[in-house]
Amino acid sequence: MWKKMKTWLDVRIGLNDFVRTKIVDYRIPKNINIFYTLGFLAVIAYAVQAFTGIVLLIYYIPHPDHAFKSVQDIMAKVPYGWLFRQMHVVGSNLMITVAILHMITVFLMGNYKRPRELTWLGGGISLLLTIIFGFSGYLLPWTQLSYWATTVVTSMPTAFPVIGDSIALILRGGDQVTEVTLSRFFALHVAILPPIFLTFMGIHLLLINRIGISATPFGMVDEEKRPLTEYKRKTHPDGYPYYPVFFQKQMYMMMAYFAVMFFIVTFLPNLFFPEEANLPADPFKTPPHIRPAWYLLAPYQLLKLIPNKFFGITIQMILLTIFLAWPFLDTYQEKNVLKRPILRGVFIFLLVMWVVLLFWGRNP
Amino acid sequence: MRYLILALAMLFALPSTGTAGYREDFEKEFMTKTWAGEQVEENLCISCHASDKMKPEFKETVDAWKESWHAQNNISCENCHGGDPKDAEFAMSPQHGFVGVPQYKDVPEFCGKCHIGILSHFLESGHGKALKASRKAPNCVTCHGSHNIQKASIDIINEQQCTKCHSYERAKIMKVALFLIEKRIAQLEQNLQTLKQEGIYPEADEKSLFSTQAEFRTLFHTVDVNLIRSRTDEFTSKLDVIDRDIQATYRDLRFRKNFSAFLMLAFSGMGVIIFLLSTTKRD
Amino acid sequence: MKRRRFLKIILAFLGSITLFSFVNSFLKFLAALPARTAEINKLIIHKNEIPSGEAKNIIYRNAPAVIINRSDRGFIALSRVCTHFGCLVEYNRAERRLICPCHAGNFDLEGNVLSGPPPKPLRAIPLRIDGENIILG
Repeated sequence: MWKKMKTWLDVRIGLNDFVRTKIVDYRIPKNINIFYTLGFLAVIAYAVQAFTGIVLLIYYIPHPDHAFKSVQDIMAKVPYGWLFRQMHVVGSNLMITVAILHMITVFLMGNYKRPRELTWLGGGISLLLTIIFGFSGYLLPWTQLSYWATTVVTSMPTAFPVIGDSIALILRGGDQVTEVTLSRFFALHVAILPPIFLTFMGIHLLLINRIGISATPFGMVDEEKRPLTEYKRKTHPDGYPYYPVFFQKQMYMMMAYFAVMFFIVTFLPNLFFPEEANLPADPFKTPPHIRPAWYLLAPYQLLKLIPNKFFGITIQMILLTIFLAWPFLDTYQEKNVLKRPILRGVFIFLLVMWVVLLFWGRNP
Repeated sequence: MRYLILALAMLFALPSTGTAGYREDFEKEFMTKTWAGEQVEENLCISCHASDKMKPEFKETVDAWKESWHAQNNISCENCHGGDPKDAEFAMSPQHGFVGVPQYKDVPEFCGKCHIGILSHFLESGHGKALKASRKAPNCVTCHGSHNIQKASIDIINEQQCTKCHSYERAKIMKVALFLIEKRIAQLEQNLQTLKQEGIYPEADEKSLFSTQAEFRTLFHTVDVNLIRSRTDEFTSKLDVIDRDIQATYRDLRFRKNFSAFLMLAFSGMGVIIFLLSTTKRD
Repeated sequence: MKRRRFLKIILAFLGSITLFSFVNSFLKFLAALPARTAEINKLIIHKNEIPSGEAKNIIYRNAPAVIINRSDRGFIALSRVCTHFGCLVEYNRAERRLICPCHAGNFDLEGNVLSGPPPKPLRAIPLRIDGENIILG
């Protein structure tokens, strides 16, 4: 019976051929490690966000008079509303974490190098889009935390010299955060960003498919030393079949992702809900400690530290450009980061600085 | 290449020097916009009365008010004393409602501009009647203070306060009559606070609790123990309703914890099993 | 191979109960049955019980409310829960308004705020007249 269905499909779409070439014969390098699953996890994380987001959309009302109450109703009145909301909130933070970890591991394994520069660029832009997702979604529950964190973050662009105020004006739809801001953030979060994000993620995945999975330098002679003056898809003829070896890895990492998510929902349900997150927004009352979400704390703190606004924002723009364009700047052929102490040192230093700024930004 | 970088660096350095602001300037612009921090509008009453040119007692008044529950709820000078807080010419003008310091006898009506329920009960009470007959009697300020007014609590009824005029016996009986309900209200308030921290915003119950508490305390101002005792059951049943709601919410929260714990275990279990099932590279 | 088979069975079992709980949650989420029984939501009062200019305090859906027979505009039903802190407003016949005893919030007979600290108008309760009866809900 099962066989009959498979044969039926095979005749029409070439199922056997597809499975054989794309899944079984698809070879992955022998020294593949667990960090290779992080990209897949980011995709799963996005799928969870999209699904729970659509589910929340069914009851959420995007107007300041009703937004808070609708979210409270989802949490308290709608059956299992709390489950989907918690998944969405925890998931958003987990997704950003996974994306950052993925970026760090790709960097350390040198898998951004030629011919994978565009892949890195696509991934970097996806990370930025994810952060914009997070920041636009932050406003939607219309709580004290949402309102004031958004006020602070939408003022950060004013540091740009000439266009800064206009950028902030367009973001907020006015001088202050109002229902106009809520509407546009809602449109951004729900309708504008998803197709853009999917496009960049699609490009990213397409490129990975075309170029082939890279081999990490650890434990293997670096094959990428050849000049690469023409296109050649990277294959691993003596590698492991994607199914079952890597597929299983991806699966249990996915289970681990959900286990972490539900661990947080069970034991740390208020991790992302400080007191201000449960009070309706009050434009006349600023809570004592306003600050943006953790993933925006480091840029925020950096802006606060550097006394010259222009200087402050320019440094951030430069760092961002270096980050996105890194594969174009680092053309050194050696992929093994263990053999490049300076790069390792600088990278670890920058990462530590980012973490330090993050914690510093938490205490006003 | 290096010339390009040099040129860019100089190009970059130029505007930096131009807009080289100082830290205070930056902080002022970025951190203290009108929306951030206090939306302090010029309240002329406070600017004069808190200035060094005024008598020290006036300054103390402003300081005392700043600590009060009124101040925390944005009730300031003009709400009680009248006058125009924005226009110096009319700040203390009787045509703009300025009342100044009320006479001892008139304090209940002064506070009763807003606290109307309490005013009506107070005037019916022994205290109120004595006050209006110009006998020795308390007014609002006697127990609650004038500017540093805090949230009312049962401890306002104490031996030191009440024995100013009569023996403590009567006050003690009253305190006992109030005690259990006050305690229960405090506990329910605590529970609601906890729920808020758990992410539930129990608006209806909060309002109901406040309303019950307000009615109860308003009733107290009649200082009629029998009246309070006769209505205690009524208040208790209102509190029971709120309590039931809160308990139901706690049960719901427990269910949620169990449900998500179950999901966590299921996913961890599946992860472990897939790991065990996985073909190692050596296979 | 028996071990693998056993593991696969457990996996299928865990997978299906997880899937089932999600599907179940999702379906319940979508259904979200409204507050049950229409009878509790309905309240019927006889018109004669409220003479012109008078009001009657009632309990509607477990919350205090008031039906006012306004001399100029007919009946209206409003929640008595003040939108400031929740005290119960009282109908003042002489002044033709609803006054909150806690902080003197004043509402007109449509429920709109006239003065005082309340931030929002009183919640109106849908009401219709059917012959001699006033029907709420």
